[in-house]
Order: sequence, then structure tokens, then C-alpha cells
Amino acid sequence: MAWTWFHRLASPPHLYAFAARATPWLGWPATLLILGGLYGGLVLAPPDYQQGDDFRIIYVHAPSAWMSLMVYVTMASAAAIALIWRMKVAHAVAASCAPIGASFTLAALVTGSLWGRKMWGTYWEWDPRLTSELILLFLYIGYMALRSAIEELQRADRASALLAIVGVVNVPIIHYSVIWWNSLHQAPSVMKLAKPAMPASMLAPLLMMLAGFTLLFGALLLVRVRAEVLRRERSAGWIRAALAG
Amino acid sequence: MSTFFYMGGYAAFVWPSYALTLAIVLLNVLWARRALARARVEARRRLASQAGAP
Amino acid sequence: MNVNTPALEAAWLVFARDLRLALRKPGQCVQPLAFFAIVTTLFPLAISPELSRLREIASGVLWVGALLAALLALEFLFRDDAQDGTLEQYALSGQSLTWLVFAKTAAHWSLTGVPLALMAPFAGAALGVRYDAMPWLIAPIALGTLVLSLIGSIGAALTLGVKRGGVLLTLLTLPLAMPVLIFGAQATDLAIRGASFAAPLYLLCAMAVLAVTLAPLAAAAAVRMSLE
Repeated sequence: MAWTWFHRLASPPHLYAFAARATPWLGWPATLLILGGLYGGLVLAPPDYQQGDDFRIIYVHAPSAWMSLMVYVTMASAAAIALIWRMKVAHAVAASCAPIGASFTLAALVTGSLWGRKMWGTYWEWDPRLTSELILLFLYIGYMALRSAIEELQRADRASALLAIVGVVNVPIIHYSVIWWNSLHQAPSVMKLAKPAMPASMLAPLLMMLAGFTLLFGALLLVRVRAEVLRRERSAGWIRAALAG
Repeated sequence: MSTFFYMGGYAAFVWPSYALTLAIVLLNVLWARRALARARVEARRRLASQAGAP
Repeated sequence: MNVNTPALEAAWLVFARDLRLALRKPGQCVQPLAFFAIVTTLFPLAISPELSRLREIASGVLWVGALLAALLALEFLFRDDAQDGTLEQYALSGQSLTWLVFAKTAAHWSLTGVPLALMAPFAGAALGVRYDAMPWLIAPIALGTLVLSLIGSIGAALTLGVKRGGVLLTLLTLPLAMPVLIFGAQATDLAIRGASFAAPLYLLCAMAVLAVTLAPLAAAAAVRMSLE
């Protein structure tokens, strides 16, 4: 039974209608969670005994970093589904992911750099996590550049899908090799970008922010998917009705 | 209130971080909505030209 | 070569053809090597003529130079064959395109990566690498350029016929090649210091095995996409 629902989503008009209906159900809870997380993180959570108020950057850095990776995996999964099962709407999903993921990767890099400034004394230290994020940004940029360089939409879809899949296979390899490289050349960093063991008052806002950002991604994705589906549809039939709505 | 803004001396790092991230969130929302609006306009245009063509 | 030719023989035919065609234009074959030599010369000019200082960065300079030189030639991996229709014939021949693409990539590596690896000891010597360390530079760079040729073949296939494809190719290939750079540079650096570089070399070998098995599949798929 669940599969019929899933297969129906592969049809552009159904996906469009579903996306239109579902967006507020993701968008408003996302807003509430993010606002709540902000309040909890900035006001309610006590300062860290080691980093003071500086650690509060985690409430924007961790969700951004989480987004950057989750969005890439989503993009690559959609790409794989598109190529393997030849679902054209999956190409629309993959295309929609890229700008969202790239912008949050940038956010993760800048917030990570600002957070590290106090620990390192400089804005950039080739920290393994941030270096991996930087390479991830290059992967996103390459994906978007390939898409825009190929004029024919169908070929652009398929080529960028392949690139996304090749990229996702590389992400763990890149991550591991950057950690290894960093451990060789630098003393163990005092910087705790990893989630330390946190009391509930610190952890709760973080979880709220993570959940809020995830739902936000869902909402943004659905809006963009609608745009991409419209771009790809030739047959006028259902579009007329959809645009009237 | 001023202690809140002072952020224990880290104000110069904390507030820009929050500002940038929230700016990116808002930009994403606006960007996505603009993409949809543009796609709707183009689809309407395509429909009109298809209807107009013999 | 037709549908009945065994895959290995067909691959060998393509490999030999690519080599023969390339060697007819020796000027073009030398270009990546000249580029490598020039880039290697830039660093002492830009930094310092002191060999002791250069030795510190020799590994990095050699790798960046080799990477960029190999990338230069990658743009032409499929271009000529795509333009005169040979690539389409390969795709339609009934032969496994994966094997043929692998053969072309192997030819590219033989023409760029291998000569670069053989040049590396001499470039290294110019950067202060001691004589007893010089031969040890060959293996890591040979392996690294092999992986780069394989990863780059995917990018070359994806960007076939795209305007300014060369820059895009570099943008696509380099992030994926960074692990190669990390382990390869570590291997040559240890070699220059006279230490054992087995660990990063094994990792390079592992990457090479992964690339040899998977990259031609992806590249062949990309070629088919570009030909449609």
C-alpha cells in the first residue's frame, strides 16, 4: 500500500500537488523549532565552563554542518534513484538540493572559522573538519557548474547525477584522508568542534536546531522541486490546472 | 541586557555567526520562492505560446 | 574490431591505437612534461634557491606540478575521438565500453603519468632531494597519476563537448583527487627524508585498485550520456 503512494509521487502532477500541500506542514514547525532553539541556545543554556559564551556558535554551526552533509547525501540518493529507476522527478529533487546544500556549507565554514578564531588565534587552521567542509563546498560548486555548463536539460540532469554519485562515494574517503593528514602535521587540536558531553539544558536547544533545520530543508526542497518539475514538464494538461491553483 | 549582547567578550564572534546563518536561512527561503515564481511565469508563457501555435 | 573480438584484445587495440596516434605528434606529448618542468622551476624562483629550504616543500611542489600537468592533457582524452565519430563507433561496436574507456585511460596515463613519474626524480633533485632518495619518488607519483587519470576520465567524459570544458574538468576532478594528493605527498615526503613510506604507498595502492575497478564503469556511463 505504501508503495503505491511512493510510485504516485514519481508522477510530476502528483508530486507538485503533494509538495504544495506539504510545505506548510514542514515550514511552520521548522520555524517554531528554530526560534525555540535560538532562545534556548542564546538565553537559557548556561555558558560553557571552558569556552564561555563562545560555544553558543555550536547552535548555528552544527546544524549548518549537518545540513551540508545531509543535503549532499540526499542529492546523491535522488541522483541514484533517477539513474537506476529512471524517475525524472528524482532529477528535479537532486537539482533542488544543490543550492541549499552549498549555502549551508558556506555557513558551516564561516561559523566554524569564527568559532575557531578564539581557540586558534587565527581565522583558519586547516582543521580536518573544516578542510573537509571546504572540499565539500568545491564538490557542490562543481555539481552546479556542470549543470549550468550543459545546455540540454536531460543531459545536464544525467551528467550531474553521475557526478553526485561519484562525489558521495568520495566523501568518506576525503574525510578520512583529511583527518589522517591533519593528525600527521598538527598537534591534537584543543578545539572541540565535536559535540561534547552536554547537560540537557545545552543539548536540548541543539537538538531543536538540528530538527528545525532538517524540517526547513524539507520545506525548501519542496518549494524548489515544484519549480524544477514545472521546468521539466512539456505536456500542458496538468500544468494549466496547477497554475490556476 | 547588555551582558547578553556582550556574550562574555565573544560578541564579535557569536553575533556575526548567528547573523550570517540566519541570513542564509532567509536567503534560502526567498531564493526558493523566487525560483518557484519564475518557473510559474515561464510555464504560463510556454502554455500561452503552445495555445497560440496552430 | 567487431562484436566477436574478445574484450581484452579490443582493449589492447584501442590502447595501441591511442599510443600510436599520440606519438605521431611528439610535440603534443611533450607539453605536459614541459609544463611540469616549468612549474617546478617557478617555486625556487618564487621562494628561495636554498636547497635545504626547497627540500622541505619538494614533495608538495612535485605533486602539485604533476597533478596540474596530468590534468592539462586530460581534456583531450576523449575529444578527438568524439569529434571524428570514433567514440560513437566504440559505443555502438557491441564491445564493452568500460574496457575501451579503460584502455584509453591507460594510454593517457602511459603518455603523461609514467613520463612524469620518471621525470620526478630529476625535478626532485633540482629541489634538493638527495641522490639516494631520488628513485623512490617514481612509484608514488606513478600510482597517483594513475588514479588521477582514472578519476579525470570520468570528468573528461562528463564535460565532453562543453564549452570551456577544460576549466570545468579541473574543477570537477581536483576535489575528488585530494586524497590522492594527501597520501601521495606524504609518501614522497617520507621518501625524501629517507624514512619508510610503505603505509601511504599501500593506501595509494588501495585507491588505485578502487579507481581501476570503478572509474572506467562511471566513465563509460558518462561517455554514453555525452553521446546521446
